[in-house]
Amino acid sequence: LIMKDSSLRLVCPEQALKELGLNEHQLRFTCRVQLQDPHSDPDTLNRIYSHLKSVLKGYTVQHLPDGTVMVESIVLKVSSSAEEPNTKVVLLSWSYQDEDLGSFLSSLLRKGLPP
Amino acid sequence: IEEPPELMSPKPLLSGALPLEPFLSLLHKHGIMEVKVEDTPDGHILHLQAEDTLIQLEEDSTHIVCDNNEALRATLRDLVLRFLQKL
Repeated sequence: LIMKDSSLRLVCPEQALKELGLNEHQLRFTCRVQLQDPHSDPDTLNRIYSHLKSVLKGYTVQHLPDGTVMVESIVLKVSSSAEEPNTKVVLLSWSYQDEDLGSFLSSLLRKGLPP
Repeated sequence: IEEPPELMSPKPLLSGALPLEPFLSLLHKHGIMEVKVEDTPDGHILHLQAEDTLIQLEEDSTHIVCDNNEALRATLRDLVLRFLQKL
């Protein structure tokens, strides 16, 4: 809700910032979580997708063609090194606006995937 | 299986900027002493050597890149938030 020129209007937060002449500050986090999983990287990502889909009822969980999984605005990617193909590194990236969900997901993945 | 958080309302938008020197002193106060600062065209990259963590500072954005250390991430988040306004 902003008041300008003695009139009140309801606008979205992004618009309100703009009209007040303020800049938005984006705070983002990227975390690495290690998983032991003897599958290929795409299979591990698939397993993460199914796991999140079953745990996060009511959230939008998407498996995108570019090899990422998105939960709301949170992006997940899987990689591994040739030396240790069973040690998967999951990169999780989220913005402060999704802080609760982002920290929940990183602690969930730290516990590993269901068999 | 742990219960997920209920669908939450998003956190507030942030505004303002993170000033380098005061932020570095705040890090020092919290025991983060070894910080290598690298200048970039748009700001700075702080490398927290002992913690193996990067913080990318730009005028309108801050990006915290850390390993498997949730406690550290939460501390850094709270220190950054001290400089920003919530809207």
